[in-house]
Order: sequence, then structure tokens, then C-alpha cells
Amino acid sequence: MKKFLRLPAADLIFAVISFSASFTILTLIFSTILVLYNESSLAIHKFGLLNFIFTVDWDPVKEVFGAAASLYGTLITTVLALSIAVPVSIGIAIFLTEISPHFLKTPIGIAIEMLAAIPSIIYGMWGLFTLAPIMAEYIEPALQSVFGDIPVVGKLFEGTPMGVDLLTASIILSIMITPFIASISRDSFNLTPDIVKESAYALGATKWEVIKDIVIPYSKLGVYGGIVLALGRALGETMAVAFVLGNKHQITPSLLDAAATITVTLANEFTEADTDIYLSSLFYLALILFILSFTILAVAKFFLLRAEKHYQR
Amino acid sequence: MDLKTKRKIKGNIALLLSTFAAFMGLFWLVFIIFDVLRHGITALNLELFLEDPAPPGVPGGGLRNAFVGQFLITSVATIIGVPLGILGGTFIAEYARGTVFAKVISILSDIMVSVPSIVVGTFIYALLVKPFGHFSGWAGAAALAFIMVPVVLRTTEDMLKLVPWTLREAAFALGASYFRVIKDVVYRAAATGILTGVILAIARIAGETAPLLFTSFNNSYFTTNMNEPIASLTVTIFNYAMGPYEDWHEKAWAAAFIITVVILIVTVTSRMIIHWRYKS
Amino acid sequence: MEDNIKIKVKNFSFYYAKSDKPALKNINMPVYEKKVTALIGPSGCGKTTLLRSFNRMHDLYYGNRYEGEIIMDGKNILSDDIDLIELRSKVGMVFQKPTPFPMSIFDNVAYGLKLRGIKNKSELEARVEKALKQAALWDEVKDRLKDSASGLSGGQQQRLVIARALAVEPEVLLFDEPTSALDPISTGKIEELVVGLKETVTIIIVTHNMQQAARVSDYTAFMYLGELIEFDKTDIIFTSPKKKLTEDYVSGRFG
Repeated sequence: MKKFLRLPAADLIFAVISFSASFTILTLIFSTILVLYNESSLAIHKFGLLNFIFTVDWDPVKEVFGAAASLYGTLITTVLALSIAVPVSIGIAIFLTEISPHFLKTPIGIAIEMLAAIPSIIYGMWGLFTLAPIMAEYIEPALQSVFGDIPVVGKLFEGTPMGVDLLTASIILSIMITPFIASISRDSFNLTPDIVKESAYALGATKWEVIKDIVIPYSKLGVYGGIVLALGRALGETMAVAFVLGNKHQITPSLLDAAATITVTLANEFTEADTDIYLSSLFYLALILFILSFTILAVAKFFLLRAEKHYQR
Repeated sequence: MDLKTKRKIKGNIALLLSTFAAFMGLFWLVFIIFDVLRHGITALNLELFLEDPAPPGVPGGGLRNAFVGQFLITSVATIIGVPLGILGGTFIAEYARGTVFAKVISILSDIMVSVPSIVVGTFIYALLVKPFGHFSGWAGAAALAFIMVPVVLRTTEDMLKLVPWTLREAAFALGASYFRVIKDVVYRAAATGILTGVILAIARIAGETAPLLFTSFNNSYFTTNMNEPIASLTVTIFNYAMGPYEDWHEKAWAAAFIITVVILIVTVTSRMIIHWRYKS
Repeated sequence: MEDNIKIKVKNFSFYYAKSDKPALKNINMPVYEKKVTALIGPSGCGKTTLLRSFNRMHDLYYGNRYEGEIIMDGKNILSDDIDLIELRSKVGMVFQKPTPFPMSIFDNVAYGLKLRGIKNKSELEARVEKALKQAALWDEVKDRLKDSASGLSGGQQQRLVIARALAVEPEVLLFDEPTSALDPISTGKIEELVVGLKETVTIIIVTHNMQQAARVSDYTAFMYLGELIEFDKTDIIFTSPKKKLTEDYVSGRFG
């Protein structure tokens, strides 16, 4: 504080202005939480916390609202998307750092940046008009014929394949989050010092053994950070999923069924909400989503910061 | 088969799978872009830019209102968000460098960059739509500005930190105040980076749909009045794509094509500029 | 008694990728069995480049070219039909900075053994213990073998790396400026180790520290600008070198 008071006038003014600008971040976060809480208070008082989270019903007519179906859809699409995206992304990162000839590195790197830059609504449109029909006509029937008769797994593929369902939504989501995991993993892999890798080669390790035993463990923290970051983003994705999910408030074991996520519910119903409790419940969903994704993104940041410190040694 | 051969084969299979993954990533990109191109180019015509939408179900018309609306909302958001972001980033990279405050702001900004944009929409709705009783272009712009500030703040911070400290010391040694040092030396050195960061942020918000859904909403008529709901390309794409008319679908593809091409060119060029300027 | 030749470098030249100028020009030199041979010379003379040729580290980077021969136990190790994994079993390497792997102390030393398919727990434990004793590290770590290697001090990590290389029982051990990142006490310990190891292993050591070369080596090769200027017993190189350039270097007139 004293340091600032000794500054000449122009400095003081500029410092105060820029300080206020930086303070905006705090203002934005706190006011978001406050406003969302305020708007949800009606629903919070009526439904409570645990009850709201576990109620499946979402009935605007009877004025009974529960987050369970939306949370379920959010969870399933995110988990499924990650299970597809993580191995593929790590594969891409391995290719870029250890396999690719030098001239391919930049073009493929640019391709990944482009995938990340494509607006999510484009993914949504492409999903609706191109992927969903392909899923409905070829892929989903194929999955049904292969897995349909197996006792437990078969339940995952029940129902008429319409293409507008959890599976398609998860696939699109996985394509969307792949660039994030891939580029953060690639950057982490590149931080493994050459002489550590050479030490492994000098012991007679093959390239894959060096990747598996040295590079990947060395880069663990960065890779975790990338994965959790992708998780945070997947949670909050709206447009990519809105077109192909169907927005049905139900909890269903089948991946070929329509479902709902918090984001899709908000997108489809926010402007339709005609009662105070309806709107308040939607705000309640938004509040839950905000806190959930904020927390997960904070965890991701924690990993990434630890990774940074680890490599500076 | 001896162990060495087994090791080599296992390794080669794993490496092959990784290569396959990389090309699969490429494949999706090519597939998506190609599809957007294919669908979009056929629906592209001059009317798209010059005419306003025809009544639902009636073919023809254009998306002039959406282009103009998108431009207005994005511009206002930029005017609000960019100065806040640059100034904020300047504060934590300069005056507050090394302090806990700077670290906290930086970390929180990073988190806010990835926060669900639809939640931003609900927040602005509560603040700028509900109390006034109607949607507005201003609300849409505010929602986009909300997203922009952390993005611009972080890139500004990163770019300013890339400027070597010795450059500032040289200016201080000449008797300049910190403000002069920042204005005349540091900003100049980091200009390319900061500018590119701003351009990337604009590209990012230009593609956002969710935050506009219940702030600027939509408008089938042409207007430049920011006090009313106003059309945007992204929301129009959403409505048209989900709508029943084939004509609407075509227009949605055309709009998607334009947005995609513009954003991709801007993004790739910007990143190449940064790469060329800072990594060689 | 004549010392046995373990490795013979014959008309050996080396080109880095995309370069027409050889980094190493026509080197001819013996490496005597179970002796310590030092490679000395000013920065850029090619001593590390030569060292990394003995286990073909250069193969890791596309475009590098070898010319001539390096013959070990009757076979030219530069030929295309040499199995690199086998070569690197016989020729181990220790680098300038300690390079512990992100694993426990035990797993580090056992790594080379596990690669070769040795799974038997008692055999692994016995060989790890033997290697750690050879590297004079056993007493300091025997109670914390499961701890992460990153918890060790710099000097301990370097001895761990040496133990790791010794565990696979190589015939030749290459040291690339092994003490340049260490404090004087650790340096002393490593030098002691090097001298003791020559009873079992042939050692080639690159060092920019002439006193170190004089202390630990039996033979010394002085290199300059990619060429081998002089090779002889260490005493001769340091007390009565035959070439003027050598004399200038060892008396500190340059480099």
C-alpha cells in the first residue's frame, strides 16, 4: 500500500484503474454465485438439496422438479466422452512427440487447434444432420446385433436406434474435448528431458518402453490436468449436445435412449418457464452446474500448477 | 519367439495404434469441415447477406439481420471486455507481479475461461433481462463480455510476462515512471501478442450460442436497436437447424459455413503469428 | 605386459544430420580392456560425439551418419545388422546430469533387468543389491529401496544411475562428464568409484576437467576440432606430450 502512495499521479490513477479491472474477476465470480443463489432460493426452499438432487421427476404441470435426470445425463455423457477421448488423445500426443516425422508435426498440430476452435454449434449441427443418421442407420443397429443378447451389456443397447441419444451425444462430446487433452498431453510429454529418455535407450529399452515407462509417468501431472480440464469443459457443453440428445427427463440404462443434461435442459426450457417455481428450479440447476464445474476446473488447475512446479526443478 | 522380438512387436503395435489415433483425429476434422463446406457452399448466395428473413415456411430471404446483429453484439462485447481484460492483465503482470493477489486472479481467470457459457447466460438474464422485462442486445453483449474478460486478461498477462524484465529496468534507469514504462516500452514489446490474444478472444465469442439464448434471444426482423432482442448468426443457426423447414436447414448450413471459415482462418493465422513471433 | 584391446576405432568419421562437414574426422584409436580411457579437449572438439558413438546413441536422431568402423570383440558395431538392444546391454552409459527415472530406487536399478525379462523376485533383489554395492550406494539406501529416487541428493542420484547401468553387467561403461553437475565431495566419491570399477568393466570417460582425467585414467585421448590429436598413456600426455597442441592444452594455454 505504501509503495503505491509514493507513485506519481499518472501511475496512481493507472494502477487504480487496472486494479479495478483485475478485481472484476472476483466480482464476476461472487456475483454469479450470489445472483444464481438468489434466483434459486424459491426452489431451494421448496425442494431442499438432497431431495432435489435425487428426484427424477421434472413436471412443470405438477410443479415438481428434480435434478436427478439432468445430472444423470450430464454424468453419463461426460464419462462416456472421456473414456473415448482419453485413449485417443494420448495416442495423438504420443504420435506427435515420439513417432511423427518432423514435417508432420506442425500440420497435425494446426489440425488439432482447428478442432478446438470450431464453435460447438457447428459440432451440434454436424451431429444432427450427419452423425445421427449414420448412427441410426449403421452403427447403432450393428452394436445392437453384437451386444444386444449379452445379459447385462445388452441393456445398454436396448430400444429403437434413432440416432438422437446418449451415445451420439457422447461421441460428439468426445471429439470436442480431444484437442484439449491431446495438446496438453503433448506439451507435457515434450517436457521430459532428452537425457532421461536417452538413459532409458542406453539401457536397451525400445521406443514404446521409453514412452510407457519413462515419458508417461514423468508427465503424469500434466496429463491429469488436461483430462480434468476436459471433464470440466464437457460438463458445461451445451450446443454440441443440444441437437442430438432429445431432452427427455428420464434415467434410462440404454445408451440408445434420449436423455437430458443440465445444459440442454437450460437451453431448451429456460425461455419456456412460465411459473416462478419452474424458473427458480432452472436457476437451481444452473447454480449446481456452476459450482460443480468450477470445482472440477479448480482441481484441474491444481494438477497443472503442480506439474509446472515439478518441471521447473 | 524370444523376448526381444516380443518386446519389439508389442511396441510396434502400440505405436501403430497411436498413429491410428492421430489420423482418426485428423479424419474427424476433415470430415466435419468437408461436411460444413459441402452443405454450406450450395446455400451460399448474395441474398443471404442482403435480405432479411422471409416468413416461416416461405422460401427465400436472407440473414442480413443476423449478420448485423452478430456484428453489433460482438462489437459492444469487445468494447467492454477487451479494455477490462487488458487492464486487468496489466495489473497482475506489472504492479502486482509476484503477489498472492496476482496469483489468485490468474488462477480464477483461468477457471472462468472454461466455465459453462450457458450459466453466464442465466446470470445475465437475472441481471439484465428479468428486471427490465425484455431481452436486449445489450444483455447479449454483456454475456459475451463476461466470457471475454478472463480470456483477454490471461493472454495479456502471459504476453506481458514474456517481455524480459531487463527491458523494464533499462527504462526505469532512464527515470521513467512505471506507467510510462508500461505504456511506452512493455506494451510496445508485447503488442503483437496482446493483439493476437484479443483477436482470438473475439473469434471465440463470435461462435458462442448458449449465452445469447436468453439474453439477446432472437429477432426475425432487422433492427439495430440494442434495447430490443436482436438476431445473431449463432442463435439463428440453432433455431433454423432445429426447425421443420428444409429451406431453414440450408440457411443454417450457409451461416455455419461462414462462421466456421472465418473463425478457422482467424484462429490459425493468429496462432501462426504467435508461434512465429515467440517460439523461434 | 601388453594391455588387451577391447575396442578398436578404425578410420571413424561422423556426420550430424544435414551436415556435409564431419563432426569427427578419421579417428583411429584403441580402447584397452579393463582400463580407464579419458577423452579430453576444449568444448566442441567432438569428445562427447565420439563417446555417444560407442553405444550408437546417435541412431536416435534421424539423419546422423557413421563412416569407418568401431570394432568390439571382433564385430563392427556400426554395421546395420547389429542389434542395438544387445549392444546397449554390453555398453552402458552415464550422463552429465543424474537421470533417475520416475520410480522407486529399487525399480530404477532393476529397470534394465526387468526389460530383459528377469521376473524372479529373489534374483532381482540379489542383483540390485550387488549393483548398489558396486556403486557404493547400498548402505545409504538399503532401508529405503521403495522410496522415490527423486528424494536422493544429486551425488546419490548419480551413483544410483551408475548402479542402474551396472545391474545389467555391461562390459563397457561410458561416462559423459559424470561429475560436472556435482559438488566436490560427490565428485570425489564418483572418481573413486570409476577407478574401482575398472577391475570389472572397461571405462571410457569424457571430461573437461584435466585434473580429473589425470587422476582417474590410465590412457588419455586429446581431441581438437573433431580430430584425434594424440593418444597415449595418461602420464605421458600430461608430463611429456608429443604434440605441441596437446602441450598447450594440458598446460592451460587454451580451452
